[in-house]
Amino acid sequence: MTRRMRFLVRTFMVSIVLLVGCSNSDAAKTESTDTGKEIVYATSKDINDMNPHFYSGSMPAQGMVYESLVENTADGIKPSLAESWEISGDGKVYTFHLRKNVMFHDGEPFNAEAVKKNIEAVQSNASKHSWIKLSTKIMDCKVLDEYTVELVLSEPYYPTLVELSMTRPYVFISPKNFVNGGTKDGVNGYNGTGPYKLALHKVDQYAVFEANENYWGGAPKVKKITAKVLPAGESTFLALQKGEVNFVFTDDRGANSLDVEAMNQFAASGEHQIIRSQPMNTGIIVANSSKSESPVHETAVREAFWHAIDRETISKQIFEGTEQAAYTLFSSNVHYANVKLEKRGYDLEKAKKILEEAGWVIGNVGEIRTKDGKPLVMKLYYDVNSSTQKTQAELIQNTGKKIGIDLEIIGEESSSIAKRRSTGDYDLLFNQTWGLAYDPQSTIAAFTSKSSYYHTTRGISQADELYKKIEQVMVSTDEEKRKSLYADILTIVHEEAVFIPITNGRVTIMAPKNLQGISFKQTQFELPFERMYFE
Amino acid sequence: MGSYITKRLLISIPLVLVISFVTFGFIHLSPLDPAEVVLHSQGIPTITDELLAQTRAKLGMDQPFLTRYLNWVVSCLQLDFGDSYVTGKPVWSMLGPAFLHTLKLTLVSTFAIVVLSIVLGVACALNAGKWVDKSVRGISFCLTSMPSYWLAALLIWYFSVKLDLLPTSGMESYKSYILPVIVITISYAGIYFRMIRSSMLSNMNEDYVLYARASGLTEKKITMHILRNSLQVSISVFCMAVPIILGSTVVVENIFAWPGLGTLSVKSILSRDFPIIQAYVLVLAVSFILFNTVSDIINAALNPKLRDGL
Repeated sequence: MTRRMRFLVRTFMVSIVLLVGCSNSDAAKTESTDTGKEIVYATSKDINDMNPHFYSGSMPAQGMVYESLVENTADGIKPSLAESWEISGDGKVYTFHLRKNVMFHDGEPFNAEAVKKNIEAVQSNASKHSWIKLSTKIMDCKVLDEYTVELVLSEPYYPTLVELSMTRPYVFISPKNFVNGGTKDGVNGYNGTGPYKLALHKVDQYAVFEANENYWGGAPKVKKITAKVLPAGESTFLALQKGEVNFVFTDDRGANSLDVEAMNQFAASGEHQIIRSQPMNTGIIVANSSKSESPVHETAVREAFWHAIDRETISKQIFEGTEQAAYTLFSSNVHYANVKLEKRGYDLEKAKKILEEAGWVIGNVGEIRTKDGKPLVMKLYYDVNSSTQKTQAELIQNTGKKIGIDLEIIGEESSSIAKRRSTGDYDLLFNQTWGLAYDPQSTIAAFTSKSSYYHTTRGISQADELYKKIEQVMVSTDEEKRKSLYADILTIVHEEAVFIPITNGRVTIMAPKNLQGISFKQTQFELPFERMYFE
Repeated sequence: MGSYITKRLLISIPLVLVISFVTFGFIHLSPLDPAEVVLHSQGIPTITDELLAQTRAKLGMDQPFLTRYLNWVVSCLQLDFGDSYVTGKPVWSMLGPAFLHTLKLTLVSTFAIVVLSIVLGVACALNAGKWVDKSVRGISFCLTSMPSYWLAALLIWYFSVKLDLLPTSGMESYKSYILPVIVITISYAGIYFRMIRSSMLSNMNEDYVLYARASGLTEKKITMHILRNSLQVSISVFCMAVPIILGSTVVVENIFAWPGLGTLSVKSILSRDFPIIQAYVLVLAVSFILFNTVSDIINAALNPKLRDGL
């Protein structure tokens, strides 16, 4: 019996040694990263599927590897893979002259044929790209010669170039990586034309990007970028302290891996710097105007609610000044959004007056207002994974109480909040605009989409007029007319108070002090790593 | 012995079937439309009705519940758990490596727990009531009651940041095992060594010890006899420690960025990746049954009386 036990113990030990042994294959490789010359950034999730024509991959990572025909910059649309372009008089035909001597990372030439194949690969999976309206307008993509392509649309569509400049889906992967002649069944490699190539990917551990020495814009100075998966904020903090990670930034969709306080601590220690972008998006509360059984259906209630939000306190206390109070749906640096609109600040007296006038009366102070026996009760949904939404909701609930509004706050997973938004099963919920490059056109196009803001806008009195103007603005070819249409659209939703702005979000980067050339793109989802260098 | 093992394994088949049905059924009680979940988790910004119908058909959601269940069971038997909603990759290609990573961590930890528990248990039992016994019990009581994420953060701070001896997280070399194994061992060894201590103590008062001593055996030999008899009780507990740790490494994996089952399951639950959740529950349930069976078999091997019971 002792022999048997000894045998068991021995087998157990041998199996452990074998199992552990298997994992050491590429030890040491990443163990000591030379953080003096490389960027190692922390990310809360894996870079995931890098197929550029899908949506589950990490956008900052896709942004390093793939490129679009044109680039969206602060000064407008600039050349990228296309050196120049012409737009036909009727606005339906775009002719692109491609940059020559560009290679995909696998050595395949980037030419008109590759452009055509990629655009066709995207179009063949069109139902997944319906958010980007360009996907519904592209009729044909023709190869004119090796470096000239023509994009034919069914009708003029002014945001064409902006939508072509986005991180996805109109970016280019080597046709050699196609599976079954396209990308919708997956790809067998990730060779783009961008400044970095994906060199190594250990799922849920790390991904290594190496500089593309043949990059048409000149080889990037930072030769290696590693994305290290650190799901817990505490681990990120400790890894930064030890120097295993030296770079953090606002990840996709505002998920911060570090809180403001921790970041300030690092900056104070002198080895790191904090850089913040211009406003990139707006955090908003969306009001369901079409829910007729709820008080939120009334414009006066929404307006009073707008006045009951203390944005300055939210900005100072909850965001510690990193996000500024917002008074309009889009901040004025958004294209077409520099429109004069009435500023509705934090004003409880005014809120009370609006409610009184609308017939919402209160018995005693501290009670809930009623109208025709119906109490002023509304539900506000927030994302349980957001570090700030709950606190904001509690603050708003508290000020609401002062003017007789009873706000019930409910935390849910982001997917069930998205479901509420698409089915109209909500009074109020937290959301954010899609961010620069997507604002205003994509966010505004979503006003009419059933899965986005249809229920938000459907209940307002000018809904039909609003939808008509949105339809017009997307196909208008006249810049002045577009400006005036956008001004009208923004005025209608502002007056109806269906999108209640709270703060403007920014992208925050924390980097080593000696890293220079840090800048931002016209989107919160990508960073221009190729412009950075160590001093 | 062979017939005992066969019988024991046959009994577990209906159990696995019941578990698989409950797992599958519970997930389908969820009010969420899987097609919608799939599209949301793929990050598709705008979902149209047409796309929903298309996705439902692709997932086979238009078929009746029992048909779907049977299809699932049949493919599970071939280790095909379907495709992940989020990544579209086969579930096994994601669950397999994660399972292996967690299993490595678990086996190393279980080994450390067993060794530490026996050493401490024997030391305490031999010195019962003395200061060694009291202080070991006191310290282990404090360590076991420490939340593991806190303990982990403290250890990383001291050994990785301050002393710069070990990596803070990841799974790159044998060094990466040290801290997570310490954290898991501390949380479990504190419980298991008490069990050994008390069974040693009760064995010490058995008649055979008295006879052994009377017949002039050395104390060392007597202790070995006591230990062997005490361990029999503990074998099933130690065997069950493996699946228990397998299913409870979430916190440790999260803080050490260990790409294992815990991380994967939490990620899947948050993104409602039903095929992975189903497979995860099933795999854990099967490992519970498996280790339970193994412990029964070991016990039966050590104690023939148990074999007749079945």
